[in-house]
Amino acid sequence: MKLAVLGSGPGGYVAAIKAAQLNAEVTVIEDTEVGGTCLNWGCIPTKAMLASSELLSKSRELGAFGIELKGELVPNLAKIIERKNKVVSTQVKGIKGLFKSWEITLKEGRGVLTSAGEIEVRTKDGNTGKVEADAIIIATGSRPAQIPTFPFDGKNILSSTEALELNEIPKSLLIVGAGVIGCEFACLYRELGADVTIVEMLPRAVATEDHEISELLERELKKKKIKLITEIRVARVEIKEDGVHAFLSDGKELVAEKMLVAIGRTFNSDNMGLESVGVHKGGRGEIIVNNKMETNVPGIYAVGDVTGGLLLAHMASKEGIVAAKNIMGIDATINYNVVPAAIFTSPEIASVGIREHQAAEKGIKYKTGHFQFRGLGKAHAMGEIAGFIKLIAEESSDKLIGAHIIGPHASDLIHEVALAMKAGLTVRDVADTIHAHPTLAEGVMEAAEDLHGEAIHVPKK
Amino acid sequence: MNPEDIRYHKEHTWVRVSGKKGTIGITDYAQDALGDIVYIDLPEVDSVVEANSEISEIESTKATSSVISPVSGKILEVNEELSESPEVINEDPYNKGWIAVIEIENPSEVDDLMESAEYGKYVEEESK
Repeated sequence: MKLAVLGSGPGGYVAAIKAAQLNAEVTVIEDTEVGGTCLNWGCIPTKAMLASSELLSKSRELGAFGIELKGELVPNLAKIIERKNKVVSTQVKGIKGLFKSWEITLKEGRGVLTSAGEIEVRTKDGNTGKVEADAIIIATGSRPAQIPTFPFDGKNILSSTEALELNEIPKSLLIVGAGVIGCEFACLYRELGADVTIVEMLPRAVATEDHEISELLERELKKKKIKLITEIRVARVEIKEDGVHAFLSDGKELVAEKMLVAIGRTFNSDNMGLESVGVHKGGRGEIIVNNKMETNVPGIYAVGDVTGGLLLAHMASKEGIVAAKNIMGIDATINYNVVPAAIFTSPEIASVGIREHQAAEKGIKYKTGHFQFRGLGKAHAMGEIAGFIKLIAEESSDKLIGAHIIGPHASDLIHEVALAMKAGLTVRDVADTIHAHPTLAEGVMEAAEDLHGEAIHVPKK
Repeated sequence: MNPEDIRYHKEHTWVRVSGKKGTIGITDYAQDALGDIVYIDLPEVDSVVEANSEISEIESTKATSSVISPVSGKILEVNEELSESPEVINEDPYNKGWIAVIEIENPSEVDDLMESAEYGKYVEEESK
């Protein structure tokens, strides 16, 4: 079986390795960097830079931890970015090493489908080559969406990609969009010292999360003096000598040194021959697939962002595995019932399953359990007490159907609930499991106990 | 002890009336129950609040609690010092720890509030 994979992000590279493990002869075609958005301009570089900004933020409280600082804390963006680049390049090398060990061929260039079994590869220096394949996986991902009336210029109006490569910390930053990317960058540049304002057209920050999570994040943003303006659009932008002037839908004007547009992502499904081969696309340009990751054209599969789903790296990887297995004759389907997701604001946010308002809308009879991190000795010891854990269970069966965490290490804590949901466990199962002390995970147990009105570290109601 | 010159709400807030203006804060009992206060979400100047509704939220090391306004009206001023030093509420809840000044819309609401002695008894009952 000859397999060609278009794109080497977390969808493509995982699919390639999986297929190679199952004895396919694999060629990966990549026109930018191995690792895709996740590794080069998304998950990993933002987390590397957030590690710097969070260390700075924590260092501002050194006194409270009994450590004297003789001198000044000065963030150096060039060095922060240098460190970030090193983290990224190590990871890129890691993937290239895996390709080599599984004898996967990497072809650098842009792949264009010429038929269901042939891809033309155009390299940057103008050469073209051909890759023949029995099956093709399209994993070309997505890119930052821009606002047509004020497109990215890389100087004043930035995409998230460009916001990772600034020469200096802007004095002021206006962020359009209070979604995952907008809020993460807001925390990053605020901690580094920028004045940050976020403009969001929806009524709340991280609007796809549980409403209680949005509410608490909004308060935490306020604590950091990040200004959030909701239910407002940026109508028009003018670049002047003193920076970006944004004219809002309520008639107000905001001025900032730079503007980051984080309104969502567009799918990379254009100019790659899909139309000529007859691959069906949806209204937003996403490639339409079934639960085996098959497109309408036999032998052509698609995974990850380009299929218009959840835009999560780990989802793309799982889809890649499903596609690879099906190609290699192992029947597999994707299941989206339990998909944990994390947002690396400070504090962190993590979620899995249904949001409370969705449960209410669906008419599900449910119960919730809450526990505040400030009720945990470990959280006090760490000096990170803001946040809570919220569990949602179906009332009749006591089975967990959702969990929402905001607070320290939320992104790690969510997996206990994800596993419980996957295994169909009840809240009682979680509450009855002994949790080590002192840990943040005790909060999950307490929230489970609270759902039954039995939490120990909660005052009588 | 609880000062005589102010009126008390059952949600453990107080108002000190001076003409049409009322200064609002939380009581000594409330600050003691909350423990060390680490953050207060101050209301916005010019916003309008109603009596018996949330005017602000306070976070302590133990809990997050709503501050319930004893009277209705427009916020004229907030104690900005609290955003940097919320612990002032613990130290001096009735003076330096004031939260906001409100333009009292309906003076009769003040009459419905408890006086010092009555609040003292109320708290005694609450803590039993």
